Formats: sequence, C-alpha cells, structure tokens
Amino acid sequence: MEKITSPYKWGMVIDLDRCTGCGACVVACQAENNVAICAKKEINEGRNMHWLRIERFWVGEYPDVRGRFLPVLCQHCHDAPCEPVCPVYASYHNPDGLNGQVYNRCVGTRYCGNNCPYAVRVFNFYDHEHAWPKPLDNQLSPDITVRSRGVMEKCTFCIQRIRRAKEEAKGEGRLIRDGEVQPACAQTCPSEALVFGNMADPASRAARLARSPRRFRLLEHLGTHPSVYYLKGGGREHV
Amino acid sequence: MKKTWLVGVLVVIMIGVVAAGLALVYFLPLDLRERSPLQPIDFSHKLHAGTNAIPCLFCHRSATRSPVAGIPAVADCRACHQFISPDAPEIRKLMGYWDRREPIPWVRGHALPDFVYFPHMMHIRAKLACSTCHGEVAAMERVTRTASLKMGWCLGCHRQHKASIDCWTCHI
Repeated sequence: MEKITSPYKWGMVIDLDRCTGCGACVVACQAENNVAICAKKEINEGRNMHWLRIERFWVGEYPDVRGRFLPVLCQHCHDAPCEPVCPVYASYHNPDGLNGQVYNRCVGTRYCGNNCPYAVRVFNFYDHEHAWPKPLDNQLSPDITVRSRGVMEKCTFCIQRIRRAKEEAKGEGRLIRDGEVQPACAQTCPSEALVFGNMADPASRAARLARSPRRFRLLEHLGTHPSVYYLKGGGREHV
Repeated sequence: MKKTWLVGVLVVIMIGVVAAGLALVYFLPLDLRERSPLQPIDFSHKLHAGTNAIPCLFCHRSATRSPVAGIPAVADCRACHQFISPDAPEIRKLMGYWDRREPIPWVRGHALPDFVYFPHMMHIRAKLACSTCHGEVAAMERVTRTASLKMGWCLGCHRQHKASIDCWTCHI
C-alpha cells in the first residue's frame, strides 16, 4: 500500500515566560472537546478527566517565592510510547504527525496511558452520561464523539477544527494558511503563550518560535520527539 | 445413572445451540436496524423528487455547505402547500404541526453512530450523486435505506476515489 503523505506536521510552542497559570486553556479545552465533568468521588480516586493540565511549581526561598506554571497536554510525539503498546491499533500515528486515538476501536486496556511518560491520557472509568446535567448537555459539541465508558481519550489538537479548516481550504483549492486553525487552548490564552502551527512550513509562526534558543521539550532524553516545544529563560527568568 | 447421562447430553446440546447462535450472529450480515421507518406524515419522495422532479438540494439545501444535509423547516413545506392541494389529509396533518408550532418528528433512516463524522458538503463537492449513498430516493414512496452504511462500504469508495483513509478523517 502506498504511504500516505501530508504537507502538514502540526506542532505547538508554549512560552512559559508568558504563561500566568490562569487556567483559561484548561477550561477552553474542557468546553470544546466534550471532556466529561467529574464528580468529587471520581476526583478523589484520581480519576479526573483533563486533556490539558497546568503543573505548578514553587521556586525560590521564602520570602522570594514564585510560582512556575507548566501547561502539559498531549505532546504528539513522533516516536510515541503510547502507540506500539496498543493491541488494537486504537492509538496510531496520523499522516499529519498527530497521535490519533480512535475511540470506537479502543477496548480499554489502558496500556497507552500507562506507557505515556507525560501522563496526559485519561480513561473513562465511569459512564459519563450524567456528566452533563441539563442544561449543560446543550453545550456538547456535535462535531466530536461523546466518549463512552471504558475508552481512553486524549488531546487531539482540536482535530475537529483542523478538519473544518482542511475542508474550507480544499474547497478553495489551497493549503491551510498559517494561523487559520488553532486549538481552543491557543485561542483562549490571554497572553498568547500557546502558538499552534504547521511545523513542516518553516515560515509559520510556530516553526519560527520553535527554532528559538530558549526552546526545550519535555523529558527530551526519552527520545519521544514531541511536537510540543516549550520556551523558557533567555535572561528573563527572575528566580 | 441413566439420568445423569441424559443431563450431560442436554447440556452439551444447549451449549452447541448457543455457540451456533453466536456464530450465526457473527458471520451473517445481520442488520436489525429499521431500513424503512414509518414516518409521522406519509411524505412521498416519489411524488416530490420523481414526478415533480424537485432537486434534492431544493429542500435539503444545507448539504452543499454543512456536514448535515438537514430537513426543511415546516415553514418551507407550508410555503408551497398553502397553495398546492391544501385540503389533502396529509397536508392537513402538516398544517396541524404548523398551527401547534411543533417540529415534525421525522424518524431518521440513515443514522450514523456518534463516533462517525460525515460531512455532506465534502461528498457533494466531490461530485457524488445523492443516490450513491441514499439509493434512488426519487422512486421511493417511503425512504428506504439501500446501503449498509458500514465502515467497509465507506472505505471501498474512499479507496476507489483516492480519498483519505486516515482514521481521524471520519472518527473524531
């Protein structure tokens, strides 16, 4: 079979010096992607659902203490540890360089979540039919699946938005322009700390930022080659 | 002694019957979904699309620019039927919905599961005829599903037309 190629390699750059830890991205992601709202009991069990979380670190000695924030989402690794462990190929690599998760294929072994060094995959331990009490069910997005119990899910870089942009671009016979599509988190970020773009296009804003000397990637030594770059330092870190 | 032997045979037969039933369900293309659901109004596609040759997109006009083809609003039906045979019993039913300000509870015949994303506009843009998936609706009194709408059936066409067969094209 011929190999599927794509002009896109989606990636994201997160500027940690801009991140204020406000959590708007977390809320936007939850609202956009039909991520289940968890009950207190589920959160107590450590079974809360988030596709994007903000890790908080305290740095410095009292009284000069500062909070450092690190938004962690699926890193869409190019050598993803989650993919080879799936027995049913529900976790697969997309031609656009994304880690796909096919909900209707998933049988819920949770191998992928256990093998993910970033712990960004979340499992539907419960039937979340009750997670959207009326009238919250009106905000469910019809573009994406409402995941059922026993299915692993994760950040998709808002694949439904990418799909819609691709459809529009195809109608006009062109490629997606830089900045035309952005996930809910990047769109919401008030300090524009999150920049999404096509890494295969060296002129895109995300690709240019990713060449910054301030860049690093999470747990780079594991060799997972994430698509998400972080920027930090460059003389601007105060503590 | 004889009775225990009989019970053993019965158990074996029962297990065999259950296994055969499961095998049948697995191997036969059993499709228990209603292919031709009864509609609240006896709407005839044969009369509208066939005899009167109204194009599909006249009523299902969202299909060119939206993932869902859409069902025309009751106001659209009424716009014509105020003047065209307003006294027929089925049209009276239609006007009843209009007067009560209720949507008509059409029964969906071509339903896809929640985990399938099917954009109508992409298929119209690819110059596929509506009848490729929906069958010859213009010859049907009541709409009947002719295609299986199974994944293999989708993929066959996608492969043939060199459309994307990436999982995330449809399962998002």
